[in-house]
Amino acid sequence: MRPPVLIACGLGAAALLPLLLGTYPIHVLTVACYYVILASSWNLIAGYTGLFSLAHHAFAGIGAYASALLAVRAGAPVPAAIVCGGLCAGAAGYGLGSVTLRMRALYLALATWAFAESARIVVSMEYGVTRGDLGLAVPLLLPTSSPRPYYELFLVCAAATVAGLALLLRSRIGYRLRAIRDDETVARAAGVDTVRWKRFVFGMSSGIAGLAGALYGHYVGLLSPAAMQFDEMALIIIMVILGGQRTLVGPVIGAVVVEVASEGLRAYGQLRMVVFALLVLAIMRVYPPGLAGLGRALWTRLRHGQPRRRYHRASGPAT
Amino acid sequence: MDATLLTQYALAGLVIGAIYCLMAVGITFIYSVMRMINWAMGEFYMIGGYVQYLLIADWLGPDRWYLALPLAIAGVGALGMVVQRVLLRPMFAGGIERLDEYATIVTISLTVLFRNLAVVIFGPYQFSPRDYAPPVQLGPLPVNGSRFVAFLGAAALLGLFAWVVRRTWFGLAIRSVAQNRVGALCAGIDLSRIDMLAFGIGVALAGAAGALLAPVFLVYPQSGALSTVKGFEIIVIGGLGSLGGSIVGGLLLGLVESLGSVLISPAFRDVYGFGLLVLILALRPTGLWGERAREA
Repeated sequence: MRPPVLIACGLGAAALLPLLLGTYPIHVLTVACYYVILASSWNLIAGYTGLFSLAHHAFAGIGAYASALLAVRAGAPVPAAIVCGGLCAGAAGYGLGSVTLRMRALYLALATWAFAESARIVVSMEYGVTRGDLGLAVPLLLPTSSPRPYYELFLVCAAATVAGLALLLRSRIGYRLRAIRDDETVARAAGVDTVRWKRFVFGMSSGIAGLAGALYGHYVGLLSPAAMQFDEMALIIIMVILGGQRTLVGPVIGAVVVEVASEGLRAYGQLRMVVFALLVLAIMRVYPPGLAGLGRALWTRLRHGQPRRRYHRASGPAT
Repeated sequence: MDATLLTQYALAGLVIGAIYCLMAVGITFIYSVMRMINWAMGEFYMIGGYVQYLLIADWLGPDRWYLALPLAIAGVGALGMVVQRVLLRPMFAGGIERLDEYATIVTISLTVLFRNLAVVIFGPYQFSPRDYAPPVQLGPLPVNGSRFVAFLGAAALLGLFAWVVRRTWFGLAIRSVAQNRVGALCAGIDLSRIDMLAFGIGVALAGAAGALLAPVFLVYPQSGALSTVKGFEIIVIGGLGSLGGSIVGGLLLGLVESLGSVLISPAFRDVYGFGLLVLILALRPTGLWGERAREA
C-alpha cells in the first residue's frame, strides 16, 4: 500500500470509530485530537525550525481565554470568538517571536518559559476578569452534550493541521525553516530572511495552538489557569519525543498513544506519568527516532525482509 | 510603617534570599561547566526536603538534625552524579546534534519523573519535620529558629563553595573547564569526571536548600516548582554564568518579595520577582553581571 492510501484508510477508520465506541472513549479521542494539534504545531517550531519554545501551552491558554472572554463578556458568537482567539494567540506569538529574535537556545527557552509563567500568573491573578482559579464557564460551540460531533470536528481540524504542516514543509518555506534550524548564519548568508521566517513560524504555530485551545475551551465548557501550568508543556514535549521528533506522524502517534494510554491506565494514578517519563528518557538515550522511527523500520523490514538502512538520528529526511 | 516591623520583614527577606542563592548558584554553576540548564533543579530541592524529613521523622530522630543535613545533601549529590553519569554524559560522547535541546528534554522529563514518583511513593500529602531549633533573639527581633539555622547553613555552604571554587586545585580545574573545555582537556583534566562532580555539587546545593527549608515550608511533590521559578528569575537578574550575580540576585529577590508583600500587597508576592526581572532585562539585557555573549 502506498502512504496516501494508508492515510486515507486511517482517517476513514478514525471517522468510523464513534459507531463502535461509547461516549467516554470518544471523549478521550477528542482530547487526543486536541493534543495532536498542539504537538504537531510545537514540532513545527521546535523540531523543524529549532526554536525550542516552552510557551506553547500558554498560547493554547491565551487562545482559549481570549475566545471565552469574547463570548462571555462581549457576547460574540462562538465561532467568531474562536477565530479571534486564534488570531490573538498568533499575534502574541508573533510579538514573543519578535522580542526573542536574537536569543538562541537556552536564552530562548528561558525567555519563553518566563513568558508562559507570567501569562499564567496574570490569568489567575486577574480574577475580576478571568475568574482565576474559580474557573470560567464557557458557552459550548455546538448545542449538544454528545461528544460525537465534537470528535468529528476535532478530527477534521487535526487532519487539516497535519496536512497543512505537510504542505508547508514541502514548500520553499519548509526548506527555509529547516535551513534556520541547521545553521542560522549560513541560512542568512544563503538569502533566507531569518527575521521574517522566525517571526512567521512563531506566529503560525502559536496561532494554531490558540485555535486548538479555543476550540477545546468551547468543548469542555470550563477554563482554569491549571491548563497553563508547565506540566502541560512537559506533556506536549513527552508526546513529541515519544512519537518521534521532526517527523510528521511522530507527534500524531505520540499524542494519541500518550492520551489513550494515560486514560487506560488511570487506575494506576501517577505511576503512568513515571512510565512515560522513563520511556522518554530511554528514547532520548537509546533510540531518538521514537515510535515513528520504530514503525518505519518495522514496515521496511516487513516489505523488504531486512532494514534498508539504520536511522542514526531523528533528523533524517522528512517525509 | 513601624521601623521594627520593617526590619523584621527585611531580615526575613534576607533569610529566604540566602536560600534562593543556593538554588541560583547551583543552576549557574552547572551551566558554566556543562553549558546546559538543569530544569529539574526544583525536583532535587524537593528530594532534599523529603530526605531531610525522613531522616528527622523516622531514622535519626529530631535531636540529631545536625547529622540529617549533611546526609541529605550528600544523598542528593550522589543521585545527581548518577543522573549525570547515566543520562547526561552521553551528550558529550558525540552523535547528538543539539546538546542544549537534548539536555532540556532530558531534564524536563526528569521533573515529570521525580514529581510523579514522589506522588506514587509518598502520596500527595504535605509533610513537615518539627521545628528543631528554639527561637533566636537577634537584638530586639525574635527570629524563628529553623529559619535562622537555614540562613546560617546557606551562608556556610555558600562560603564553603566559594572557598572550594577559588582556593583549591579542584576549583581551579572547574574554572578552567568553564572557560574552555577543549583547553582544559589539553591540560590533562578529566572532563567527564569534572562534569559529573560539578553536576553533583550543583544539585546538592539545591538539595541543601530543600533540606534547610523543610521545617520552614512544607514538603510535598510540587514543592520544587516554585523554587525552580525563583532560581531562574535570579540567574536572569544576576546574569547566567556569574556566581556573584546569583548571590546578589538571590538576596535582592528575597528582599523585594518580602518588602513588596508588606508594602504593597502579599497576593502578588510571586509577581514582584517577574517585575524585577523585566526591569533588569530592559535596562541590562545580559543581567547584572552576565556574560557578554548573548548567543549561548
